[in-house]
Amino acid sequence: MQIYLPIAELPINVFMIFAMGGTVGFLSGLFGIGGGFLLTPLLIFSGIPPAVSVATVTTQIVASSASGVLSYWRKAGIDFKLAGVLLCSGVIGSALGVWIFGILQRLGQLDLVISLAYVTFLGTIGVLMLGESMKAIMRRKSGKEPAGRRPGQHNWVHGLPFKVRFRRSKLYVSVIPIFGIGSSIGFLGSVLGIGGGFMMVPALIYLLRVPANIVIGTSLLQILATMAVATFLHAINTQSVDIVLALTLMIGGVIGAQFGAQVGQGMRGEHLRLGLGLLVLLVGLRFAFNLVVEPEDLYSVSVIEEPVK
Amino acid sequence: MRLALQSLTTLLTITLLAFSAAAPALAEKLVSAVSSSRVAITSNFTGTQILVYGEIARDAETVSRTGNQDVVVVVEGPLERVTTWRKDRIVGLWINATSQTYIAVPSFYAVHATDDLRNIASEDWLKQYRIGLENLPLAALGTRAPATERKAFKEAFLRDRVQHGLYSQMSKSINFLSPTLFSTTVDLPATIPTGDYKVTTFLFSGGVLLDSQEQVLTVAKIGFEQVTFNLSRQYPAVYGALAIILALFTGWIAGVIFKKD
Repeated sequence: MQIYLPIAELPINVFMIFAMGGTVGFLSGLFGIGGGFLLTPLLIFSGIPPAVSVATVTTQIVASSASGVLSYWRKAGIDFKLAGVLLCSGVIGSALGVWIFGILQRLGQLDLVISLAYVTFLGTIGVLMLGESMKAIMRRKSGKEPAGRRPGQHNWVHGLPFKVRFRRSKLYVSVIPIFGIGSSIGFLGSVLGIGGGFMMVPALIYLLRVPANIVIGTSLLQILATMAVATFLHAINTQSVDIVLALTLMIGGVIGAQFGAQVGQGMRGEHLRLGLGLLVLLVGLRFAFNLVVEPEDLYSVSVIEEPVK
Repeated sequence: MRLALQSLTTLLTITLLAFSAAAPALAEKLVSAVSSSRVAITSNFTGTQILVYGEIARDAETVSRTGNQDVVVVVEGPLERVTTWRKDRIVGLWINATSQTYIAVPSFYAVHATDDLRNIASEDWLKQYRIGLENLPLAALGTRAPATERKAFKEAFLRDRVQHGLYSQMSKSINFLSPTLFSTTVDLPATIPTGDYKVTTFLFSGGVLLDSQEQVLTVAKIGFEQVTFNLSRQYPAVYGALAIILALFTGWIAGVIFKKD
């Protein structure tokens, strides 16, 4: 069944989009991620303009993180103060991101920057995840206890000034690294159409030592809020949020996520991380392939949007 | 030889007379129409076709011509500004490196004719009336690129548009239902831009333009698609807020439905 997308201005098979949303939703439920980094490339590769893909996925992430936020809220698994600081910095980051997005679009280099950023970030994080999960699996096989994280352990981050106390996370840290994490993920989110959960969670755990039971809920709330702001800014600035596409993706996504979460509960953490690492790396490689291999047609045509009267 | 010259002079005089005095009364006239003057884009829009038809009307006293009569139908979408990019290999990566920008090129262009265009009229005529893909005025904005490069860009641009079904050129695609009645169907793909389209019908005979007619075809989103699109352009803040509310609501509903405890 074809459905006409009012903003993308092309018809698309609604079942294909639904299936995409469902598959990514399944994986996001399985791995506990937002899945934007999978969904945006899938949409781009299926012929939806990159601008519309990126902007619309920000809306989809709002929906997919909303149900997660609700359930963590009920379990008191959110540090609202930490999420608030992350959010303030995230808003600045995504405002900057949307602004640069517009400039790149005008320069014709948006696709390149999106591809390069995907290769760099997904490549790096994929390799790190693979390495870490392999080590964990080896350790388990050799029978040694994994080296547990000691909550009192400090690193260079804890020596920075402007310290603030976060009661719920039992933390007393500088706002500088929090600001750094929040703004860079907000920036990447609005440029790349990703929520950044797969970057935020490790950053909060390893850099700030946020307790494990708080980290996912807090990161989800921050992602929800940042992506809501990104949706709003995209709607105003690039005007490429397609509400019909977003709704189709959301419905597929929330259903898929439920099944994914069920399957994920029966799997070991390091196996999940290994799978996620592979997935992240594959998406990165797919983008690298496009950049390195000579394209079939060297020429491409882009219509320059007339300014709105 | 003398006789031929004389008859040519006579013919010229007649033609001149015809054009100066009572041109429409003597020459063939063209009457043409489009099956519908409005194409509505709705949620199940997957492209459509329009029928352009017409009649070559002759006056009783008009001597029927011995030469071929050719009809050309040109459908032209609203003009837009387009950039064509070429990727070059820079430090091992294929990157958009050079570009040419065309201002005021049609967003949609289809030409249907009764014969090959070059058999219908000379290139000058075709260029003047923008008939045929090669005859579209594609002047790049402020470029100093050599002619070969400009040509390569132009060809790439036309190739892209043809691939996307936005440009087409079909000779021998106009049917004559009778010696004077003709019709042709023009495909409008699903990705056509909205706006006012110009449908022009030309009547050529022996390489000379006898008459032309123009109709306007409006392609517009209607109903939900129109409301959504207009909202996103005119009240982007409201549109953005609605998108967020919709997303939150969907997420909340999902949370309620799939709540385990």
